[in-house]
Amino acid sequence: MDYFSHSLSVALELIFQFDPAVWQVVWTSLKISLMAIVVASSMAIPLGVLIALNEFAGKRFIQQILNTLMAMPTVVIGLFLYGLLSRRGALGDLGILYTPWAVVIGECLLILPIILNLTVVAIQSADKRLLPTLHGLGADRWQTMRLVLSETRFAIMAAVVTGFGRALGEVGAAMMLGGNIEGFTRTMTTAIALETSKGEFELGLALGLLLLSIAFLVNFFLQLLQRRAV
Amino acid sequence: MTALYRLDSLRFGYENKPILDIDQFEIRENSITALLGSNGAGKSTLLKLLAFLESPQQGSIAFKGKTVGETELLSLRRKVGLVAQKPYLLQGTVFDNVALGLKFRAVSAETISQQVAEALEMAGIGLFADRAANELSGGEAQKVALARALALQPEVLLLDEPFTHLDQASIEELNQLISRFANIGERSVIFTTHDRVHASVLADEVMGLVSGRVVYAPLLNLFKGEVSEGLFKTGKININLPGDILFGKQVAIDPNEIVLSKQPLCPKGISFVEVEGRAIPLNSALTSSMRNSFQGRIVMIAEEKGRVRVTVEAGERFHVQITHQSLSELGLSLGEPVWVNFKSTTLQVL
Repeated sequence: MDYFSHSLSVALELIFQFDPAVWQVVWTSLKISLMAIVVASSMAIPLGVLIALNEFAGKRFIQQILNTLMAMPTVVIGLFLYGLLSRRGALGDLGILYTPWAVVIGECLLILPIILNLTVVAIQSADKRLLPTLHGLGADRWQTMRLVLSETRFAIMAAVVTGFGRALGEVGAAMMLGGNIEGFTRTMTTAIALETSKGEFELGLALGLLLLSIAFLVNFFLQLLQRRAV
Repeated sequence: MTALYRLDSLRFGYENKPILDIDQFEIRENSITALLGSNGAGKSTLLKLLAFLESPQQGSIAFKGKTVGETELLSLRRKVGLVAQKPYLLQGTVFDNVALGLKFRAVSAETISQQVAEALEMAGIGLFADRAANELSGGEAQKVALARALALQPEVLLLDEPFTHLDQASIEELNQLISRFANIGERSVIFTTHDRVHASVLADEVMGLVSGRVVYAPLLNLFKGEVSEGLFKTGKININLPGDILFGKQVAIDPNEIVLSKQPLCPKGISFVEVEGRAIPLNSALTSSMRNSFQGRIVMIAEEKGRVRVTVEAGERFHVQITHQSLSELGLSLGEPVWVNFKSTTLQVL
């Protein structure tokens, strides 16, 4: 118990003394996750709206695939991309393995099905009268999409936040694709794994606390927005 | 004159459950039409088809003489305004909601302000513009939805059970609004209701809807039963049917097609009958075609839209419409025995 309380006090010191090593890792983590969320959301949300608003053959099959992909292990994504991005891989010439871009791509692939699926669910769970109302008022396809997005924006924001949380907490693909390079691709999760294995439990704990705090803050703001919308 | 709507061989249902089965149906232009029917008769579904929100699975809809195709849906939707029974208001203010349809049509901001203000005034909610839509009561939301449709200045205003949640004063206001709208010119109103009296008072034409089928009788005499051996058996009376009808679960008799008499017209007639609102001597042609006569007792005499409705208990309760003149000529009074007569060819079996 002494060990844990001592480590906790050191971890808090590291956080509040703004230890550059800690905050460098936090910044790298946030930067990579934010880039991943922007790229994934810009693809997943419009695609989700299209899937939700249109009836076509294979729609149910796509949703089943998305459900499966939501639970895909991150190391599998890491493994798959490693094969593509390594020097001998099909995309090896790009030379982005062990760069933040490789981690962004990995996290994108991880969270895209999550945001896509939750967007489809959010729109399908909207009030059944919404679409007939918009069509009845003479909305064309784009106007309908825009209004549907606007009416379901908080559920879709929840989907984005869920994706952000998943990206932030991801460790397998970040480790395999980023290589855990200090100041470059070292994220909070990979740093926690590394520092703890090196016996630097205090630093790991500090990063763990910051990771939890960020997740808490993001969800707090989301709930605040949802409450204002009611 | 071209019909506003013409429905031909129309079939529609949800998940293999048939909702509408209409052989032929027309709605006149520049008029007020009531779609009368009980819950589950298919009124709201028919209104959605008339608003071009649903397309028939079989058959066709023609609007102003032109058959509706998938490519014209958007432009046609912009010609009609639908007010749902439980309208959905989008997030934002009342103004945002009422202006939305105009924004879809890329109308200028100035015109939007003007048309929204006019529509809110017409709907009796002139001071509601800045109120949040999610803070309104059910009745207020209904008025906002009405204003939202009126702001579009549609050629056809479609109202789904518009009187259901309104108090008496609001019903009166809406009656006047509908009449005013229909009188603007080149405007039609179609509304659904289960209130027969309301339908007949307000509408130029009343169409009945029973189990998804259009009935031209005003649903006053609608009996349930089954067809057997050329008869429609309600459990209380047996009605003679035309020979070609083999199936049916309901029968409708137009109250204007029923003849009242002091003695049965089937099989042998008597001296006086009431035809088209007048008491006239009976002729043999009439007697021969009256295949149904039931003796009953008058239980109610009431005035309705300038005519007299006589209700006769004759096993089933029959409603008959006659003129004031016929009432006095036949000398009908409450409790008096009377015969209800009608031709089998006037029956609508559903």
